[in-house]
Amino acid sequence: MFDQEFTISKETQRVYNIIEEMNEGDAVFIDWAFDPTLQAELLPMAEQTIKQCLDKKLRIFIYYPYVTGISLGENLLVNIKKEDKYKNIENGVEFIHLGYLPIDVDMMLFSSYSDFKSTFGKEGKIFRGIKTMDDIKYIMSISGSDHTESYIVLQKRFGFKLGVGVTAVIGPDFVPYLQTGQLDGMLFGLRGAAEYEKLRVRHGADKIYNQKADKGLASLSLSQIVMFLFIGIGNFIYFYERKHKQKT
Amino acid sequence: MELINTLIDSTILNHTFQIWMSVLFTLMMLSFLFKDNPLYKLGENTFLGISLGYGWVRSWEIVVVPFLIRPLKDAYLDFQPYDITLILWLIMGSTMFFRFSRTKAWVANYYFAFVFAYVAGYEIPVQVQNLFVQGSNMMKPLFEQPSFFEISKWFVIIFGTFSGLMYFFFSKPHKGLLGKTARVGILILMINFGASFGATVMGRIALFIGRAQVIADNYTASIVLAIIISIFLFIYFKYLQKEPKLDDEQMH
Repeated sequence: MFDQEFTISKETQRVYNIIEEMNEGDAVFIDWAFDPTLQAELLPMAEQTIKQCLDKKLRIFIYYPYVTGISLGENLLVNIKKEDKYKNIENGVEFIHLGYLPIDVDMMLFSSYSDFKSTFGKEGKIFRGIKTMDDIKYIMSISGSDHTESYIVLQKRFGFKLGVGVTAVIGPDFVPYLQTGQLDGMLFGLRGAAEYEKLRVRHGADKIYNQKADKGLASLSLSQIVMFLFIGIGNFIYFYERKHKQKT
Repeated sequence: MELINTLIDSTILNHTFQIWMSVLFTLMMLSFLFKDNPLYKLGENTFLGISLGYGWVRSWEIVVVPFLIRPLKDAYLDFQPYDITLILWLIMGSTMFFRFSRTKAWVANYYFAFVFAYVAGYEIPVQVQNLFVQGSNMMKPLFEQPSFFEISKWFVIIFGTFSGLMYFFFSKPHKGLLGKTARVGILILMINFGASFGATVMGRIALFIGRAQVIADNYTASIVLAIIISIFLFIYFKYLQKEPKLDDEQMH
C-alpha cells in the first residue's frame, strides 16, 4: 500500500561502490558494535554488507566489541546460509567470527601492529596472507554509539577505507567526518539500510530476502507525516488560543 | 541430563516458543502505555536479568577462561619466566576489589592511575592529530572547489560558531550588536537541536517499527496474547490492585 520509490543518497552509494570496487579475496573487517536493542536499524545494514562481500568473494572478518552482540551475528550468518545462494559458505573460509576482546581492539591492533591471527586466537584458511591490520582493505563499522570514532581518528594514519552504518540517533555526529573525507561512506539509520537494500536489489539481489529495512521505511515515512501534522495542529491551536485570550 | 536437554530443545530452543515469547514480551512492555502494571515490571526485570546473566556467562567464557584461567593453568604445569607478567596483571586487576572497603579503597587507585595514564598517553596524540586533520580537510574545499555551496558553508561555520559563542557571553548585557549576534546564535543552536531531535525521534520510531513488525508478522500469537494481557489488566486494575497506603507524612 505504501510502496515508495526513493533516491539513493550519495553516502549510501559510496558504501556500495567501495565493496564493488574491491578485488576477489580482499579482506573486509566488519566491526559489529551493536546488540539486539538496535537490530531494527542496524541488522539489515550488516546483512547487506555481508551478502555483498560474499557475492564479491571477499574475505569477511567479523569482530564484536560488545559481548551481547555475538549471538546476533552468529544467528545472521546461520540465516544467510539457509539461502540457496549462500548455502556453501563456511566459517573460517569465506567469513570468520573473530569474537570479543576485553580491550578496545583498535588500540591493540593499530598501536602495536599486533599479529592479527594470534590477537584473536583464531585459526582458518581465511587468514592466509593477513599478518597485521595493515592487510585489511576496508573497515565497515556498524554501531549505535561513538565507538566508531576510534577508527576515524586512526584512519588518516593508516589509510584504510572506512564506511560506517549508524543509527539515526548518532548519525548527525558523523556527518562532519563525511564532509572532511575521513569517512568514505555512511549508512544513516533505517533509511540508509533501505537504500542499501534497494541498491543491492537493483543489481540483482533476490528481493524476497533483501527488503527488511525497506518494509519498515513506509511506516517510518507515514509516522513522520503523522508527527508533522500533530506538531502543526498543536502549534495552530496554541497560537489560536493565545490570540483568543488576548482578545478577551 | 538427556531429559533436561530434550526439555530445553522442545521449549526454550523451539522456534514457535521463541516467537510467542518475543510477542508476549513486546506486548508486556507496550502495556505501560496504558498504565504502570506488574506485567510491564516483569518484562523489564526479565530483560535486565537475562541481559546481565547472558553478559556475565559470555564474559566468563570469552574473557576470563581464555585470558586468565587457561594461561594460569598452563603456568602452573610449566612455569616460564614471562608468566610473571600474568600474575602481575592478576594482582593489579584484583586490587579493584578494594573499592568495597572504605579504609583500603586507595589501593585500587594504582590500577586506575595505570589505566588512565595508558589511555591518556594513547588517546591525546591521536585526538589532537584527528582535530588537525578534520580542521585542515574542512578548509580544503574553499580553495579547491570554490562553489557557492562550499563558500556559504564557510560562512555558516565561522559566523554560526561565533554567534553561538556570543549567546553564552554574559559579561555584557545582550543589547545592540551583541544582542543581535546572540539572537542569531540561539537560532543556529535551535536548528542544531531540531536536527538532532528529529534524527533521534526517527531512530526511536525505527526501533518501534522493528517490534511492530514482529507483532504484525505473527498475528495469531499477537491476537491471543493481546486478549490474555487485556483480561489480566482488567482483572488487576478492577479487583487486585490495592490502594497505596499513605504514610504519616502524606496523611498530614
